[in-house]
Amino acid sequence: MPSKEKVYSRHMQNKGAVKRISEWSSILSDILSPEGKPEALADTVVLDLSYANFTGLIASSLFAEGGAEVIKIEPPEGDPARLMTPYGKTVKGTGIPYIMESRNKHNICLDIHDETDRDRLRALAQKADVLIETFEPGLLDELGIGYRQLKEINPSLVYVAITPYGQYTEHAKKLASIPWSDITSQAESGMAALVGALPDDPEPYNWPTRAGFHAGGYASAVSAVCSALMALFFKRRTGRGQMVDVATADSFSSCVGFPPTIGDIWKKPRPRYGTLDYGLCPYGFFKCKDGYAAIACFRDQDFRAALRILGLWKIEEEWKTLLDRITDDVEKAKTLNREIEQAIASMTFDEIFKKFQAFSIKVARSKWRGGGLPVTTRMLRPREVMEVDHWKARNTFFKVDDHYYGIFQVPVTGKMSKTPLRIKRISARIGEDTEQVFKKYGIK
Amino acid sequence: MNNDYFSYMAEVFDRSQVDKKSEALKGIRVLDLSHMIFGPKAADVLAEHGAEVIKVEVPYQGDYWRSATYWGKYWKHSNPMWHFINHSKYFVGIDVKYPRGKELILKLAEQSDIVIENFASGTVEAWGIGYTQTRAVNPNIIYASLSTFGQTGPSRFFPGWDLLAQGTSGVISVTGYPDTEHFFKIPDFFGDFYPGFFAAMLVMMALNYRERTGEGQYLDISQAEILMRSLFQFTYTSATGDDLERTGNQDPTVSPSGIFKTADGGFVALAVGTDEQFGSLCKVMKRNDLATDSRFAEALERLKPAHAEELHRIVAEWIDSLKIADIRKIRETCRFALSEVEDDVSISRDEWRKERGSVVEFNDPMYRKLTMAGSAAMMSETPGRIKWLTRPLGYHNRYIFKTLLGLSESEIRQLEKEYVVGYWDYRVGQRPPVYYNIEKDEIFNYGGESDAE
Repeated sequence: MPSKEKVYSRHMQNKGAVKRISEWSSILSDILSPEGKPEALADTVVLDLSYANFTGLIASSLFAEGGAEVIKIEPPEGDPARLMTPYGKTVKGTGIPYIMESRNKHNICLDIHDETDRDRLRALAQKADVLIETFEPGLLDELGIGYRQLKEINPSLVYVAITPYGQYTEHAKKLASIPWSDITSQAESGMAALVGALPDDPEPYNWPTRAGFHAGGYASAVSAVCSALMALFFKRRTGRGQMVDVATADSFSSCVGFPPTIGDIWKKPRPRYGTLDYGLCPYGFFKCKDGYAAIACFRDQDFRAALRILGLWKIEEEWKTLLDRITDDVEKAKTLNREIEQAIASMTFDEIFKKFQAFSIKVARSKWRGGGLPVTTRMLRPREVMEVDHWKARNTFFKVDDHYYGIFQVPVTGKMSKTPLRIKRISARIGEDTEQVFKKYGIK
Repeated sequence: MNNDYFSYMAEVFDRSQVDKKSEALKGIRVLDLSHMIFGPKAADVLAEHGAEVIKVEVPYQGDYWRSATYWGKYWKHSNPMWHFINHSKYFVGIDVKYPRGKELILKLAEQSDIVIENFASGTVEAWGIGYTQTRAVNPNIIYASLSTFGQTGPSRFFPGWDLLAQGTSGVISVTGYPDTEHFFKIPDFFGDFYPGFFAAMLVMMALNYRERTGEGQYLDISQAEILMRSLFQFTYTSATGDDLERTGNQDPTVSPSGIFKTADGGFVALAVGTDEQFGSLCKVMKRNDLATDSRFAEALERLKPAHAEELHRIVAEWIDSLKIADIRKIRETCRFALSEVEDDVSISRDEWRKERGSVVEFNDPMYRKLTMAGSAAMMSETPGRIKWLTRPLGYHNRYIFKTLLGLSESEIRQLEKEYVVGYWDYRVGQRPPVYYNIEKDEIFNYGGESDAE
């Protein structure tokens, strides 16, 4: 272990530990480079038929990063998702989110409304392990290329369908024609209702608010891939395929689980809480001299530590225990929040950070467990995140240098010691790989 | 659509058959050394699909999330928000502080396929139950270390959790309205749960690889990095040189889009992703003139800030003239994304989610009825399922120690005396509900009072 590293634990000091940590660190030294390493899903073929649906595109991207051969199939005029891009900005006609999720994919064209192309799709589906589609429920079934028909020609196929309400229930049938969007996924699954300013703030700031990224899209995509991989594992053991059905209107509620349980037990929906937290106070980002700093106090000892460091010990008596700081009374929480805000306003982030770090390290190395572990971090904007040494050291941003699309960066994760996720290429030209894929699979 | 499509699918996903179907991960054993949300959720996803997940906690202390509370409320002497993170698991109390405790944990790891932990980086190695020691007794183990910043890099030992991950990854800075000082986090520990699913997904990649090659591996899973993987802002900035400011309620990738208020005070979300969808919106608004307006006819034109603003204004006015009942009617025929904004109560009561199984009223022998989230994705042949809610700390000690570790009743009692293994403290969240007679519980008292042999 390099001696200059800051350690927040007393357990890492003893001799045996130091030896083990250095052995473990040497295993890690090799983890960041994918070079020459095998890929987890190298034997897996995935067909991605997603249409105007980022959940599907993200799902197949994750498969491709894991090493699957992903064949993205779109109509000759292109997937409309290509044009879902901030302010309409494109790189050579392709939207930026689409490029970002075109990792390691092969792009081919097939027109599902043409019988010859449907036969080609059937031929590919016979060879595929996974198929992802996002059309209106029943559309592919009607065209003779849905789960019901494809499982006859490939009983081990894992067929993943992604739509707002899924493939069964009367509700799904009634609303079958409603397409996917990220904002409706967030709104219907309970996320938007919880984001936004406090009820007495002015409109529209106190309205339900969206997360500023495709939070619904990603949550659904990851659960789709997770289940598809379980289905793939089951297939390896039994030879049996199956259907995986994702309803994106469940994206947030099925991910975090809070809304159904709280709704049923409390019988009252939570109001929007602004920058306060439902569970803890203080717990959030506070404006300091040169940015926003996190102050988060889980336990009483963390709170006491923060008060000492911020020079607020005089208010300790009033807010002593977690029960005093329960956030059901918004006015009370606001009062405590204001105290913290005022204390922090005159400090720079570095001042806060240094004080918190010195305190935490001292406490964490001590045998006495009552000292608290105040920890802070700065709120960063995307441009700042890309400049952080830690992420640079981890190769979190992969630099694409493509002769057609130019130079840009994409985030990547999945550090697995033997089969790391990786980006081999990013290319998204319509139909660029049709010929090569047809040839490989003997399709005329 | 073929007329029988939905009835065919209702059969494929028949909820009444769930318990009779296979489980995808049957026979897979997971040692869950994690605590709070991020790690436990990853293990929970595997438990839901049939893996035998053994959760190890420190006796008389337990996972801190057991006793956590929202607004000081509890449910049957437990934290209701603990059950859906820790259902269908086996709960044992072993103290790693004692050499004998460490030995028991490694013995369980030896018989496991997967280990999941989320202590501050390096801690499990320091304790002697990390990857290096586990690999020595079980070379093909899949060992997943979950943390905020990851196991490598200059900030690797920096502690963290949901809030810090959301702040340091850029998630908070992109959420809210432009030109305000309010930056919102995504509530309900999204920065723990979503990366928890992502971690389960990576474990499943490793498990598929092991099934094919026999080889295990080490997984370094960083929750902040997973959140970063989900932002298109980085690519946007590096490709265009511009920053994307917060956009409030509008999704800048589709136009029109937003959350709007109806005449009767309801909130609805609307988004138009394609030209075809735009045609449908114009028709429903009775504004066919817009469909041929050069500012709006094509997606890339609609998305330009001035055009998007204008469309947003038109849609806002239109929705302001409607009532929620009108929106419901429109939803039956429209071909663009339109929905109500749902909240905790409406989600817990939606009939369709119950029929679907994404909201489940589970009946547990210890806690009785609890409404909770079901599977996030439905599987036709191997549906996920909840088998039991959470259990008190150390509830499965006898069951696991006797069946997996071959310990006798007297050996277990000796370990109890030495505090190597143990149970709950009389604290909310750790103990059984007061009405429950634990002395008569057959699993808790597994194997009886005396040594069988």
